[in-house]
This record gives sequence, C-alpha cells and structure tokens, in this order.
Amino acid sequence: MRLTGIRRFHFARDAEEALSLLAAYDGGAALLAGGVDLLRSPRGDIEGVIDITRIGLSYVRESRGGLAIGATTTLTEILASAAAPAYAGGLLASALSQVAAPPLRNMATLGGALVSAHPWADIPTVLVALGAEVRWQGEKVGKAPVEELYGTAFRGLFRRAVALEVVLPPWEGAFAHEKISRTRYDIALLNACCGLGLDGEEIRWARVAVGARPNRGERLPWAEEALIGRKPGGELWNEVQRLVESRVEVGDDRRAGAAWRRRTAGVLVRRALARAAQRGET
Amino acid sequence: MAVETQQGGAVGQSVRKVDGPSLVAGKPLFTLDLDIPGSLVGAILPSPHAHARIVSVDTSAAEQVPGVRAILHHGNVPRVPYTTAGQGWPEPSPYDTVLFDTKVRFVGDRVAAVAAETEDAAAEALARIRVEYELLPPILSPEEALAPGAPIIHDEPDAEGIYDASHNIAAAVDIPIGDAAAALAAAPVTAEATCEIPYSQHATIEPHCVIAYFDDAGRLVVRTSTQVPFHVRRIVARVVGLDPARIRVVKPRIGGGFGSKQEVLLEPVAALLALRTGRPVRMAYTRQEVFVASRTRHPMKVTVRLGATKDGALHALEMDVLSNTGAYGAHALTVLSNVGSKTLPLYNKAPHVHFHGRAVYTNLPVAGAYRGYGATQGYFALEVAMDKLAEKLGLDPVELRRRNYIRVGETSPIFEKIGEGREGTAQIVRSCALEECLRIGAERIGWREKRGQRREEGPWVHGLGMACAMQGSGITGVDMAAATLVMQDDGSFRLLVGATDLGTGSDTILAQIAAQELGVPVDRVLVYSSDTDFTPFDTGAYASSTTYVSGNAVLRAASDVRAQILDVAAAALGERASALELAAGVVRSRKSGKSLTLSEIGHRATYVTDQRQIAATASFACPESPPPFAAFFCEVAVDRETGVVRVERFVVAADCGVAIHPQAAEGQLEGAVLQGIGHALCEEMLFSPRGRCLNAGFFDYKIPSSLDAPAIEAILVPSEEPTGPWGAKSISEVGINGPLPAISNAIYDAVGARMVRAPFTPERVRFALGVIP
Repeated sequence: MRLTGIRRFHFARDAEEALSLLAAYDGGAALLAGGVDLLRSPRGDIEGVIDITRIGLSYVRESRGGLAIGATTTLTEILASAAAPAYAGGLLASALSQVAAPPLRNMATLGGALVSAHPWADIPTVLVALGAEVRWQGEKVGKAPVEELYGTAFRGLFRRAVALEVVLPPWEGAFAHEKISRTRYDIALLNACCGLGLDGEEIRWARVAVGARPNRGERLPWAEEALIGRKPGGELWNEVQRLVESRVEVGDDRRAGAAWRRRTAGVLVRRALARAAQRGET
Repeated sequence: MAVETQQGGAVGQSVRKVDGPSLVAGKPLFTLDLDIPGSLVGAILPSPHAHARIVSVDTSAAEQVPGVRAILHHGNVPRVPYTTAGQGWPEPSPYDTVLFDTKVRFVGDRVAAVAAETEDAAAEALARIRVEYELLPPILSPEEALAPGAPIIHDEPDAEGIYDASHNIAAAVDIPIGDAAAALAAAPVTAEATCEIPYSQHATIEPHCVIAYFDDAGRLVVRTSTQVPFHVRRIVARVVGLDPARIRVVKPRIGGGFGSKQEVLLEPVAALLALRTGRPVRMAYTRQEVFVASRTRHPMKVTVRLGATKDGALHALEMDVLSNTGAYGAHALTVLSNVGSKTLPLYNKAPHVHFHGRAVYTNLPVAGAYRGYGATQGYFALEVAMDKLAEKLGLDPVELRRRNYIRVGETSPIFEKIGEGREGTAQIVRSCALEECLRIGAERIGWREKRGQRREEGPWVHGLGMACAMQGSGITGVDMAAATLVMQDDGSFRLLVGATDLGTGSDTILAQIAAQELGVPVDRVLVYSSDTDFTPFDTGAYASSTTYVSGNAVLRAASDVRAQILDVAAAALGERASALELAAGVVRSRKSGKSLTLSEIGHRATYVTDQRQIAATASFACPESPPPFAAFFCEVAVDRETGVVRVERFVVAADCGVAIHPQAAEGQLEGAVLQGIGHALCEEMLFSPRGRCLNAGFFDYKIPSSLDAPAIEAILVPSEEPTGPWGAKSISEVGINGPLPAISNAIYDAVGARMVRAPFTPERVRFALGVIP
C-alpha cells in the first residue's frame, strides 16, 4: 500500500483548524506530526494530509516540578532540551536514546508515539510508568492519565481529536528503563520501566511497568505493592523478580516466546529497580 | 607530462577508487538513474499461495485499466524451461523454471506481469487480474519434502536436470574417499556437530532493477543491476526467443550484490514487456519483493563427524548436508557441492573422507548464490566440531588446526573430486600463510591469556572462540575473463573489462594491475565495465573470481601492450627492445640513457611513423583456484540471565596473497565479518504455517547496524600466490565463513552452551543455558 490517494496537503494554523479539516474529510484525512507511522503503514484511502507541526505544540517546559511536552515535539528535541535530561533521574535521556535510529528520532514525536501506542514500543511503557497525563482537543478539551486512556478505545478518540500535550508529573526519586532488542535500532523484544522513591530506609512509592510482552506496556500494581514500605536492596529486588516471573502476563509472537519473556521480565524489572535506586541515591 | 612521472608502483597502494568521486557526489550512475522518456512501468503479480495449480487467469478487467499496455501470463508467453542462475555453460542448475507457469510453488512466485504508463495503473491492473487456483498441500521443510508420499513440487514433464523430481530432490552429491564410517568407528577420539542455518537475506542497498529499451538500430538494450551481464544476455535471448546478437546488456554502477544478482530474474520479464509494447520498460523489486522473490542463502542442516588420533591428527571426516533450495533449484547443486569442496580440503590430512548431501525442493522462497556459497554453512558445522574435538583431546583449538591444515605443496583429493556441479580439478596449494594468520590473530585477541577464563562482569561472562576457513579464487574449468587494453594517442590507456564491479572496488583493482605493468599511475588507466557490446567476455563477479581471474586477464593484456610500447620505442630510439625499460611513464634505454615518454610513444604510433593501434585483448581461463585462508578470533560477552550475546571484539587475519588494494581488501573482510555476525546473532527469515514470509523488510528482519558492530580488526597477512596477478588471490568471500563458528565457540567458552542453530537469539541462548544459569 502506498500513499497514492493524497490530493491535498494542509498546514493547520491551530488545533481547531486541524479538527475542522479532519471532519471535512470524514475519515479521508490523516494528521501529520512526525509521519513515521504514516510512512510505515500507509493508507491508500487518505486524500488529505493535515500537517500539525506549525500549531505551537513543539516544546519542553518545566511544569510544577514535572515536565510539559508538546505533542509534536520530536524525540530528538526532547533529548536536546534543557529540562528533560534531569527529569526522573535521567530516565528520558536514557530511554529515548534507545528508541530507533537518529533519523527516525528526528521525525518521531512524543504525541505520535503515544497515540500509535505500538505494543513493542518503549515510550508507552515509560509514559505508563511515569503516570503521564495527556491533554487533547476534540469537540472539547480533554485530559486523562495515559494509563487510563490505554484502557479505553483511545484510537477512535484520536481519529477526531488532536493530542496537545503530555504532562509528566514530578517524582521525588528516580526511574530506570531496560530494553532488550535484536539490534541497537530494533524495536523491543521486551522492556521495563521502574521508579522508586525512598523515605529514609523505606520505599515510599514504586512504579513498575513491563512492555512488549508482546502486549503494550502496563503497570504491575502487585509488584509495586510488594515494594512499598520495604527496605530497598538486592534481596528485595530478587523477591520482586521472582514475583514478576510468576505473575506477569506474557505471550508469544514471532520475535520471542512467552517462557523467555516471563523469565526475562523478572530480570529486567530487578535491574531497573536496582538502577533506579542507585540513581535515586545520587 | 607530470602525471606520467609519478614514482612508485600501483599495486599494494590504497589508491582512490576510480569511481569514488562520482559516487560520493551522487552522480546518476545506477540502473534506474537513467530516465528514458516514455518508459512504461513493469510490475509482477505474485502468488498468494505456497503451492497451487493455476486453473485460469482472466485479464479482461485488468486490460480495461487506462494506461495498461501489456499483460503477460502463462497463456500468452512461450514455455521455455531454463534456470535463473547466472552461471557458465553447461549450466549446472536444473532447468526447472519457466517465465510464467501453470503452477505456483511459493508465496511470491510469478503469476503474471503488467506494463503500464504509471505505477498506479500497473498496481490497479494487477489487482484486477482474476486468478483461479487449485490449492495443493505446501511443503515447508526439507524433512517434509523427503517424507514418503510427499507432494511432488516439480511434476512438470519438461523440466531438465533435476536429480530426482519424484522425491523433491533437486541435486545430490556423494563423494566417498576411503572408508570414513569404518575409520570413525575405529577412531580413538571422535566429535560430532549438527548445525543449522536459516533463510537469510543479502540485504543489498539497491534492489534488483532493470530498464529494457530499444536503441536506434532496433536492438534490445537491457540496463540492469547484475553481477553477470554476459549470462543475462545469453539467458534473456533464450527465454524470450531473440537472437543474442540483437541484445546488448549494460551494467552500470551496482549497489551491492553478495550473490543475489547472480540471478536473471527481472531481465527476461522486462525484455518481453518491451518486445510486446515496443516501449522502454522499467522494473524494480520493492524491498518486500527482494526478500521473497529474489534469492536467499540456502538454509541447511550440516552434520560433521570427526575421527582423530589421540595426538589430534584427523583420520576421518564425514560431512552430511541437507540443503533447502526452496521452490526452484537455482545454484542447488553448486552451492551444495561447495559446502564440501571449500571446507574439506582445509584439513587435508584425513585419509578417510565422506561428503554426502542433498538439496531439496520446498514451497518456500528460492535460495541462490550468497557470499560464501555453501562454505559458510559447512564451516559452521566443521569448526564447531573441531572445537568439540579439541576439547575432547584436551588440545588448544589453535593447535588442533595447526596439526591438520593444508600446507604449501600439499593437495586434497577433494579438489579433484568435487567441482562446480561436476568433477573438480586437481591442484596443489602454492601459497598459504595460515600459520601466520593463526599466530597474529591469537596474539591480537589475547588468546593465551583470556581463553577459558570466563571473566565475569555482573551477569556478563566473557569467552573467546576461533575458527579457520578457506575459499577459492574463481571456478576451475569454468571461469574465463577477458580484457582489452588500448593505448591512446596521449599515452593514457583505456581498459575494457567484462568484469563486474558491484561496489567491491574491482574496477580500481584492475586498473592498478594494469598500471603496475605499464609503469603509470592508476589515473592514467581509464576503466570501463561492463557492456556486452563493448567489453570482452567475463563470466561475471562471483566465486571470488574478479581479482584473480579478471586480474590475470588484465595483466596479460597489459604485458602485451607493454611489449608493443617497447617495440615502438625501440624503433624510435634505434635500440633493441630488450635494452629498454618502462617505468614512471617513461621508456628509457639502459644502454644509451635515451628516453621517450608514453605520450610521445602514443603520439608517434598514432600519427607519425609505422602507424598502429597499440592495443591487446587477452583472456584467462581458470586452471586452478588458489584458496585464500583466514583465521578468526572473537571475544563475546553473554548475559547469563537474558541470553543476550554481545560480540566485543573480532579479529580476522587473512591471507589473500598480495593485497592489490589493502584498504579495499580490509573493507571486504570487515563487511563479511559484520554480515557473518548478523547471521550469528539476528538474521532469520520467518514463515507462517502457510509459507508466507512474516518479516519481509528491515523493520522486522534485523541486520547489524554500525552501532552493533564490534571493534573489527582486519589484518592482511601477505603471501605470494605464484599464479595470481602480482601475487594476489581472492578476499571477498572467505571472511563470512568464520563468524558463525567463532561466535558459537566463544559462547561455549563463556558459558558452556553449544549454540548450533543460528541465529543465537537471546531466547535460544537463554534456554541453552538451562532453567537456572
């Protein structure tokens, strides 16, 4: 399939115009931010392309101790921003730099990654772990935690809405991300993102998410509960590893089997927890 | 002229590639860069089924699509059995292919072709061709193909050269020397390895593509991305029923081949569409089509059994091969033969050898030539078995190789017994620097200090592995190359070669070979390759042949031209030719000191006295195929918990004789090693239960990127091959034979798991380690 049906290309001036154009095409148009998915899975039925890169949604701002990132901000722009490297113990810097290759990171946007939400992608796992919230403009402005959104028919929503901004909350603590892929530029065979906040000798909060299972990244609340209130350290990480191995929902796909994913998920969670704890200390 | 007086020889210098400036400047050099107004677009309708008979083809709706100019299918194209393998005559591959058949044999097989004014029109026409199929049970593995009562894939009556069509065996080889079974039974120490390699892709940058058009004289010109322009001409003529004299094949710059373009795939289709329409026709495979409809490496299962004395002298060697040739038998016999012929002579001391193999049809994509050409699969099993044997003997694996490898002045009966689909040619090894390769490689990797240490860094365990390999330089009794060298009136030279530079740098290397003989800088030799109207014959760029076979032809032509230059100079200077020397662009008399520049000689011969064209055409047929040798060493780190393998360092020390262009030779080694690392760690085509390729593209078929490349140290260890041009042998293929076994052996050294099925994915490694690592 190729993008052979395109007849018109629009530069939207704002989200409202993008939406009215979308409505006018009645399903025959696509929003263009980075264009990665448009090229990877081209739709022959698209007549109109609506470019939303000029509507002021490319920014990274500090926001109440967290970050607010415009939906059309590219991964490269996030990596190059002043605010992102320090956030969540350097999570964005390490996780995003493992996503695809530089030319694709120059194209791919945070909003695009959020909306396309590929099961093998790293960014949904990271956003879920971070408790990110997304704002969008549809018939009206809406917002929801990404995790909650992924539990709904969100793809239908974004056929009639424009993602505006991703808000990453402040965390007193640190996160770490782990990924296994076949090559450096490959999608994940499995990924994990974990965060910890310490209160003296105890873990005050914990976030654990595993993705590419092969399903999309999801939090493991029972693993988080097993961490809270406990003393951080190798013994606990090993215990959580075993817990994850016993309870994580995994499956087969052509890239890897469920048994390997089950065992390796525990390993990745243990490693991410250990690294997050280490980052938190520094 | 100042340029003629440059000192120093051309051979052994990493000179600027003759095509380098135009390539880096992005000049329109490649096949599809030629824009011929009025060209039609050709496209192919692939089979959606792995195995089916075509009951009917209805093109009526497709013909109504505006812009459609021709539709080809089995009902309107002559049926001519042929092989797509671009090989010399007599063709050793079976004639089991027709341009459009009444049966499809794999998902992606050719059903019909369309020529239309635009890509969209072609696509729409393909979508409107109605094909009724009668589905047949697909065979998706060699084991199924050989099972009693299996469906017969090639039941057509007009196929020729299939070994046993009724049992789906495209080719078979059985070469017993001595009594290997008895010797193995009696051997004090034995070792065995069975290794498997899957479907894998060449992954060239440029896809297969062609433009067919008519010149002013009405002759058909086929401009194509090929490794074998002269075979293209011969095969296209036969398949489309045209006098070969009416066909010209032009090979422009090529964006990589690795064997995949030793096939004649799109050319006859484009030619026939051009003939039917009278219009130029452009065709190019999409990347997906390259994956499924061009060619792949032959998936194989190879078992090696070794028997040795207690001091490590090999006494018996058995190799059993089951090769999957896919739906057609392109290169089936020759790749199968090379599994043995390029591996077994390396350890020539064993008096008892048995090579046995079968290449079997399946309803999967067609395998073909791929760098290494069977040797890669053979060495995987052979060198893992050698590692196992060394362990059983308590011997250093390097020492085991030392005690058994072939030396200068020695031979192997295999050279004579197995050739290119027939008997081979007896030969002795005249150059071999493997001893030095082993010494240098072991030293650079830190073999003595690091091997067996299992150094740990958290979950990572380090290990070292090694392997040896050889290849050949051209095909004895088959390959022939010719070169024409012309001296121009200004004293510069034109070198016309049928040899095919695929991006390897062979144009530069051939210019260096000529320049060395002529005593001129390389840029005084203008190379043109290759065009069947203007350049002399060459079998093509395959079998590691160009430097050795084409290079020898060039050297012969240059020697002849050199003699003619001295004759002209002798007459001009009033001296005997034997008193003259040619160096640095000047002919000088050793007796009188009198001299003439080459431009003065060119001018004189062209315009002044005793006018003649100083030129020569020479050819070289390949009487023997001197093997290059290589020793491979690598360090890996294995994550015991996840099964991830990292190649930390790779050292390859190779003997290619005298390296004509050292940087190009090192590049060949580095590229081959990285391709081999891809085989070892990540490359594998996957198929659905119905035979559809699930990862036909780079999104999900992974090749190593620059960031995945370890530090690769490529070391050229010189020897001098007396039969080679300026002492040279080949280098292009040998480098891919080592990474699979070296990495497998290194993983074993690190964690004690024998990886025998490629690629060594995290999942496979992790489970080889057991439940609790």
